[in-house]
Amino acid sequence: MSESGINHKFAFYLGCIAPNRYPGVESASIKAMKKLGVELVPLKGASCCPAPGAFGSIDQSVFYAMAARNLVLAEQMKMDIALVCNGCYKSIWEVNHKLKHNKDLRDAVNEVLKEVDMEYKGTINVYHTAELLYNDKFIGVDKIRDSITNPLTGARIAVHYGCHLTKPHKDREFEKEVMLNTEHPVWMEELVAALGATPVEYRNKMQCCGAGGGVRGYDIVHALDITNEKLINLKEEKVDALTDICPFCQLQFDRGQIEIQEKFGVSYGLPVLHFAELLGLAQGMSPQDLGLDLHAISCEPFLKKVL
Amino acid sequence: MAEKKSTTKKTESKKDTKKVAPVKQEVKKQAAAPAAKPKAEEAPAKSPIDNLAKAEDARIGVFICHCGTNIAGSMDIEAVQEAAKTFPHVAYVDNYKYMCSMPGQTVIHKAIKDHKLTGVVVAACTPRLHEPTFRTATKDGGLNPFRFEMANIRDQNSWVHMHDREGSTDKAKDAIRIAVAKAALLQDLHPKAVPVEKAAMVVGAGVAGMQAALDLAAAGIKTYLIEKDMSIGGRMSQLDKTFPTLDCSQCILTPKMVDVGRSPNIELMTWSEVHEVEGYIGNFDVTIRKKARGVMTPKEAEAKGIVGGGCNGCGDCEGVCPVIKPNEFEIGMKPRKAIYVNHPQVVPLIYTIDFTSCVKCGLCVTACGPEKRAIDLEMKDEFVKVKVGTAILATGYDIFPIENKQEWGYKRYENVISSLEFERLICASGPTGGHLVRPSDGETPKRVGFVLCAGSRDNTGTGKPYCSRFCCMYSLKHAHQIIEKIPGCVPYIFYMDIRSFGKMYEEFYYRIQDEGAKFIRGRVANIIEDKATKNLHVMADDTLLDRPIDMEVDMVVLAAAIQPAADTNRTRKLFGVSCSSDGWLLEAHPKLNPCGTTTAGVFLAGVCQGPKDIPDTVASAEGAASAASIPIHMGEVELEPYFASCIPEKCAGCGMCVNLCPYSALSLVEKDGRTVMQVTEAKCKGCGTCGGFCPGGAIWMNHFTTPQIVAQIDAFLLGGEQ
Repeated sequence: MSESGINHKFAFYLGCIAPNRYPGVESASIKAMKKLGVELVPLKGASCCPAPGAFGSIDQSVFYAMAARNLVLAEQMKMDIALVCNGCYKSIWEVNHKLKHNKDLRDAVNEVLKEVDMEYKGTINVYHTAELLYNDKFIGVDKIRDSITNPLTGARIAVHYGCHLTKPHKDREFEKEVMLNTEHPVWMEELVAALGATPVEYRNKMQCCGAGGGVRGYDIVHALDITNEKLINLKEEKVDALTDICPFCQLQFDRGQIEIQEKFGVSYGLPVLHFAELLGLAQGMSPQDLGLDLHAISCEPFLKKVL
Repeated sequence: MAEKKSTTKKTESKKDTKKVAPVKQEVKKQAAAPAAKPKAEEAPAKSPIDNLAKAEDARIGVFICHCGTNIAGSMDIEAVQEAAKTFPHVAYVDNYKYMCSMPGQTVIHKAIKDHKLTGVVVAACTPRLHEPTFRTATKDGGLNPFRFEMANIRDQNSWVHMHDREGSTDKAKDAIRIAVAKAALLQDLHPKAVPVEKAAMVVGAGVAGMQAALDLAAAGIKTYLIEKDMSIGGRMSQLDKTFPTLDCSQCILTPKMVDVGRSPNIELMTWSEVHEVEGYIGNFDVTIRKKARGVMTPKEAEAKGIVGGGCNGCGDCEGVCPVIKPNEFEIGMKPRKAIYVNHPQVVPLIYTIDFTSCVKCGLCVTACGPEKRAIDLEMKDEFVKVKVGTAILATGYDIFPIENKQEWGYKRYENVISSLEFERLICASGPTGGHLVRPSDGETPKRVGFVLCAGSRDNTGTGKPYCSRFCCMYSLKHAHQIIEKIPGCVPYIFYMDIRSFGKMYEEFYYRIQDEGAKFIRGRVANIIEDKATKNLHVMADDTLLDRPIDMEVDMVVLAAAIQPAADTNRTRKLFGVSCSSDGWLLEAHPKLNPCGTTTAGVFLAGVCQGPKDIPDTVASAEGAASAASIPIHMGEVELEPYFASCIPEKCAGCGMCVNLCPYSALSLVEKDGRTVMQVTEAKCKGCGTCGGFCPGGAIWMNHFTTPQIVAQIDAFLLGGEQ
């Protein structure tokens, strides 16, 4: 460990939903990771990732060029990218992977980037912060457990993994080497347990949140129907909170509950927190610092239990 | 430029002449009458380079094959022919539509006679396919068959450069020029015949190994049948019924098992493994590790002076043994003791001690009694050496660890079982006496889901890309069995497509449809357990109705993929056999030599070569037995004369090569008062390790001599005219 206590530095890519809707994810990630020896340096000038469903399905060249531009910004900082969202991971990680392995595509993208005097070189890697937290090479479960000052004892917490971090499994090296499991993973449950909480398994936990792939934008009722099914399964296990690692999933579960009440007339009142927010809480950050009051569904019942 | 080239060439050949100086006279003699039969046997006894052809006198014929349009469609044959005419030593060039056909071969041997050729180059496919054909043609023309060289202008040229006519034409010219350069320096060689031991070995005693051993034994060949498990029968002995005939698997297998046990020509060695293999076709020296079994057979007891003793299979020992372990034969669904047999019909009926769980209390020794004295708790592994002429690998398969496909919850949900577990549960001699029950509560299921292609035809990286070939059919059989045994029970079969390709298989498929099995075309995405009832929800996409379905069933059977048996890799390396990327052992040719391997004298039988059902396995075993018996019945085999030879005048006797040789073919001997290396030609495989290393250039690799290889390199580097 260096003198400052910082072992790794990453260019921190924020995405869109986290800073706009859940600013606590940003502050908690920066502060909590710092305590664990990882400094997140803002990736200045970054654009939308761009969203894999909305852009990727409509114009591939725009999709690749925009993601590549974000990658080049980090290449200029000579830092690997760390990000907090499965959707951003899908776009930026996958474009990086594809550009590294496909020369024709790389040449085509660089042709576009020339217009803004940029060139993609393929010198950096892309990580999700959840991956950094779990992988011993960067942080690891033990280190997280040691950093906890306010264990979330007694809280029953279920995990929503989201889709784009783990799939497609074929290319995801960290899946194969570190997390070992795509269809029924338990590594996030390990992370939850490290915070002192009780991880809870529930029916069909790998089901989509309902929002991804443009479903939310295209057919909101259908999207909410899927979300509702997940919420029914969660309710059966009497969980105190749901944690996720994707602000888009979080938005669907959090704001989605309001919409479900409007459209289907059922209410769940289930607090939904990004794992970074949970980690911040367990490390002693205040709910105000974490902006938990900005969540659509009140986190109060959960906070009462753990604070 | 042209002059410079020829100078280089001259220096090169001068050097060559210098190298072979001590035997110059013979060289000339040989070159003068190249087509004449030389004193075949004496030649290698002297210096190895005695019969070296001299390039200046070479007259090479070049024969270009069109291979229909395989070659002619992708290059300009005329241009290649015109170029070949200009190459040094070329005395005759011709082309033909199919050089391997009878008229094509006639072209070759007629040209040898008419144009007094000293060597033949055929530009065509690969030596693997047609080297024997063209060697025969060369021989028919009156030349030594090793005066033939092949230029591969099809597999390595026209096929890969199909759309580059100009490039492939140029490449063919290069390939022919290089082949001609070598052909000009080819020597007469004479294959060595070695006697073949009149015994064979079969590794693995499942149905394939048993059938192969029975056939060899019936042909009068002493056969060692090696089995790593304690009894024979393999996977087939674990099955309940066989498709499509619905015979009881044990009933049709037991007679074969008994025959194996009784055959005077079969020496059955169970609880044994191949430990080491030395030698070559006709003369394999195999060391077998007989694992300590803890129990003596009557024969072994007699050898130790215990007359009338040894295990008679009474089972008294098992009754008193205090250790309880899961029975692997029943896939852990039944208990066994530390001293046990797999099942009641085992061959041989000899108990075995699992020393990893035995506590050596000695109760079994007492129970066995002073008459039989069969049990020896201090028994150690033994090593037995046998000599065989040929060997057959029949190492079979294991079930793919289907828990790796986590979405189906095997080992996570109690009522998700594998197809092999189903076989044991439905089998009358199985752990439940043939009653299919749910592991969670012992209840009889009324709705059973079958997941086909469970880990097969799976490109996600978790499963196997290949089709395991018999899962469709046994799942149909399973469906039939539950309809027959459990009134009102409905099988739901989730499939991609039903592969019912064998004799009477499609008819069986229709029969099962008529019996009321439900077929749902769609891969199962996910299985979810109902916590309270332990029922299972099978989530799939019904691709015929184009809608997702959630089917609640009481039990799910995964038709798990298969993979090569655990020890296959170790065993295949001992015998020098390759495997393909999926781990199955590699046959010499997938269509025309499916039982042979690239190691002469080693053959493959059954599933170790790739997934097969029982009829195909038995057919493959009979094929392998037939192939393995041929060298034995011939009595001797010819070895390719590619062995290394020592040039004694140059050898310093340093012995470095002796240690390098992977086949222990080299040794140091005293000759004329000096220490020199000597090659045991029958052991040498011609790999060239010694020849490439020898610091003094004293090792001569027949058919791949230094002058030949240098000439090939020169021919390539120097380009067109020389």
